[in-house]
Amino acid sequence: MSTKTLRFNLNGEVKEVAVSPSDMLLDVLRDKLNLTGTKKGCGKGECGACTVIMNGEAVNSCLVPAMKAMDAEIETIEGIGSPERLHPLQEAFMDLGAIQCGFCTPGMIMSSKALLDKNPNPGKQEVREAISGNICRCTGYVKIEEAILAAANKNKR
Amino acid sequence: MKVYNVIGKSVRRLDAMEKATGTGTFTTDLYLPGMLYGKVLRSPYPHARITSIDTSEAEKLPGVQAVATYKNTPRVKFNTSATMTTTVPNMEPVLDQYIFDNVVRYVGDEVAAVAATSEKIAEAALKLIKVEYELLPAVYDPLEAMKAESPVIHDECHEGKNIPGDIVKIPFGDIEKGFTACDAIIEETFKVPIVKQVQMETQAAVAQVNPNGKITVWSSTQTPHPSRMILAHVFSVPFSKVRVLGGPYVGGGFGVRIGLSAKAEPIAVALAMKAKKPVKVIYNRKEDFIASDVRHGGYVTVKLGAKKDGTFHAMDLKGILNAGAYCSFSCETPGVLGAMGLSVYRVPNQYYYGHSVYTNTTPAGAMRGFGNPQAMYAIESTVDMMAEKLGIDPIQLRLKNIMQAGDPWCLPYPCNSSGLAECIEKGAASIGWERRGKLNRPGTKILRGIGLGVGSHVSNAWPFCVDYDNAYVTVQQDGSVLLASGVPDIGTGTSTSLPQLAAEVLGVSLEQVSLTFGDTETTPFDIGSHASRTLYAAGTAVVAAANDARKQILEYAAEYLEVAPENLELKDSIIYVTGQDESNTKQVSLKELTYYAHLHNKQFIGVGRIVPENAPPWEAHFAEVEVNTDTGQVKVVKLTAAHDVGKAIHPAIVEGQIEGGALQGIGYALSEEIKYNEKGKQLHDSIHKYMLPTAEDVPEIEAIIVEANERSGPFGAKGVGETSLVPTAGAIANAVYNATGIRFKEIPITEEKMYRALRKKA
Repeated sequence: MSTKTLRFNLNGEVKEVAVSPSDMLLDVLRDKLNLTGTKKGCGKGECGACTVIMNGEAVNSCLVPAMKAMDAEIETIEGIGSPERLHPLQEAFMDLGAIQCGFCTPGMIMSSKALLDKNPNPGKQEVREAISGNICRCTGYVKIEEAILAAANKNKR
Repeated sequence: MKVYNVIGKSVRRLDAMEKATGTGTFTTDLYLPGMLYGKVLRSPYPHARITSIDTSEAEKLPGVQAVATYKNTPRVKFNTSATMTTTVPNMEPVLDQYIFDNVVRYVGDEVAAVAATSEKIAEAALKLIKVEYELLPAVYDPLEAMKAESPVIHDECHEGKNIPGDIVKIPFGDIEKGFTACDAIIEETFKVPIVKQVQMETQAAVAQVNPNGKITVWSSTQTPHPSRMILAHVFSVPFSKVRVLGGPYVGGGFGVRIGLSAKAEPIAVALAMKAKKPVKVIYNRKEDFIASDVRHGGYVTVKLGAKKDGTFHAMDLKGILNAGAYCSFSCETPGVLGAMGLSVYRVPNQYYYGHSVYTNTTPAGAMRGFGNPQAMYAIESTVDMMAEKLGIDPIQLRLKNIMQAGDPWCLPYPCNSSGLAECIEKGAASIGWERRGKLNRPGTKILRGIGLGVGSHVSNAWPFCVDYDNAYVTVQQDGSVLLASGVPDIGTGTSTSLPQLAAEVLGVSLEQVSLTFGDTETTPFDIGSHASRTLYAAGTAVVAAANDARKQILEYAAEYLEVAPENLELKDSIIYVTGQDESNTKQVSLKELTYYAHLHNKQFIGVGRIVPENAPPWEAHFAEVEVNTDTGQVKVVKLTAAHDVGKAIHPAIVEGQIEGGALQGIGYALSEEIKYNEKGKQLHDSIHKYMLPTAEDVPEIEAIIVEANERSGPFGAKGVGETSLVPTAGAIANAVYNATGIRFKEIPITEEKMYRALRKKA
């Protein structure tokens, strides 16, 4: 199968990867770049576990053909914070009990980061809309919503 | 009140950092050198015999390295669920499936599998397998499937047509005499839907077989040790030749993988044996929906008799459940339905009769609550009908009849504790029960109502399944602690709460404790994570192991400090002499002592080996609903979930269990269902089609923790995980009745059903 070179900015670094025309961005991240923080829950854009930020927008990476990411800026869970310098969302998710099985967590954090990047002071309804495409079956979303609102408040200060 | 240092505190979960930074791995994330990808060919028919299967074209496709069918895989019968290894004597587990068979029994049943160098090649190869089927008649409803004219799905049914295992009968008192002494009797049958766990990580396994025949399987199972026993049975190897371990994390369970992860593990192993390379099998979401265990749908009949003053006097309960095509947990689930259904209220005369029935649908197995939500939807609806009939407030009727600690019941372990009355009182205050009946003005389009439901559950699987636990506590030479438990962490916080218990007992900080878990090679046998048992049962073993190590430490320290061991206290990693004055301040740090011991050829290793008792957690849910009379939509405005958990070891984790389960309960009551068409095809086979709640559907949920200390649990704790959706559907159905005067005897109460019911009533 013919491959093409995908060049994009991933978590602040320029990457070049050989991809097949049928590859999705999720496959490139997980299988070619070994960034398994981004999860695959359905492969059809229905669960949000594969959410990454592409040019400032939260997208389901399982629905983005890899070549559509040419020259794009992509952020994944691995790029937004480290144990030493956590993103306020990561901190809030950890401290407020918003993480259970953890499979939805990266996608959930990326969807909420895309929201906070644009709207640092969202209301409850805006938070719910932002994560309405991210399924979580463990938490009932209660502590996730609390964590996102808490991270937003922390941003404000 | 006793002051604790580590337990009872909502510390940051020990798995949180890995999960929040995307570094925590799950089975689906694993990659081994040379690894192949396995894909499964599934039956398009609900019931058929395979008359021929030709895999030659698939084998020729470049990149394909193994093809497996019923012709070249073990003809060993098994059961994918842990029941195979945990069925209590003198019952026999039902072994009714092979990895592949020449008969398919539901749409999605396994026909063949391919291992190839990429998923795409494996998928292409599946299309090259030529299968000819002879179609057989199919049946989808459990009541239909018992009829003489229905097809036989499995031959070995000694209790009756298509009935797996034994019929469950639970007698208590004298049911016939009981009803003759009742002033009011209500008898109703309720229909419950087939629903799905929809855990976020689909079924997954990575199998590796080394040249010596040792099998290693990374698996999404909730029960690594029983899974190992099942795999050893299927492949006819000693238990010691199989290792099952987590990824290490498991992306949710809710019962769907108590035992194997559907057939991901045996298919991956069979392919790995043929290809002589590691093989990864991940179910896609559709496969997870149609070919892994669902919650039993079926019929629950309640006959409740009471005296004029509201005292319950007789209850006859019957459950007929849809087993689907293979047995899985279909013998145990009707048992738990009956046992739980009979143990919430103090009724002197009771009887339960229940069983499952094979049909040509996806196998039904364990799902959070395990028969109990089905029972309590029916019972709590009936109790409210009785309250109306007798003119008694539903809360008062319940308070009059609920089980109290010490009451006799049908279960073979005592009711030691009950905080249910407190749950009801606190829940009523939270929801504003006094507003009930005053919420609607004539002519309003939005009708409001309030309802409640109560329930109980278990804290482990005994006496329904075999249940025992082991744990090791190995004190390291620097005073830190390595804990080993065979349970995985399926999201319920085990990898935090078990170390909390060990730290509390050993008098060390949580940071000093590390846990190895969910690995059959590095941990002693434990049943695993199911039956709301992990904290209660595995935790009891951890406490025992920690106490054993503590005893060894204090005895050794006693010699070291030249005092009697009973005068020593271990706190903050320091061993003190108790009651000493300032002139005598003998002490030694745990670090110093353990290294001293090391230099003198000694290590402290605690072993916990326990058989857990059992204990009832209790819960009361209160729902306030709005019914839109134009559209039929039912909206839960607020749900209060008050739970007696004995003792909350980690309150935030307990709240999380309650909130998450409550939302699943709302889905069960109002929207979730897998339906079938006349060709046996599942109509709800994706997250999009299956109407589970999203963030936008969440009402105000108030989780209330009640702590009626339980003697038998670690630091007084009881189970919680499953309890949180047990009474929810009943509470909502009762609120809907309060709002509309319409009694729904079938869930989910969808917009369509409500719309029709409102029109019919008008």
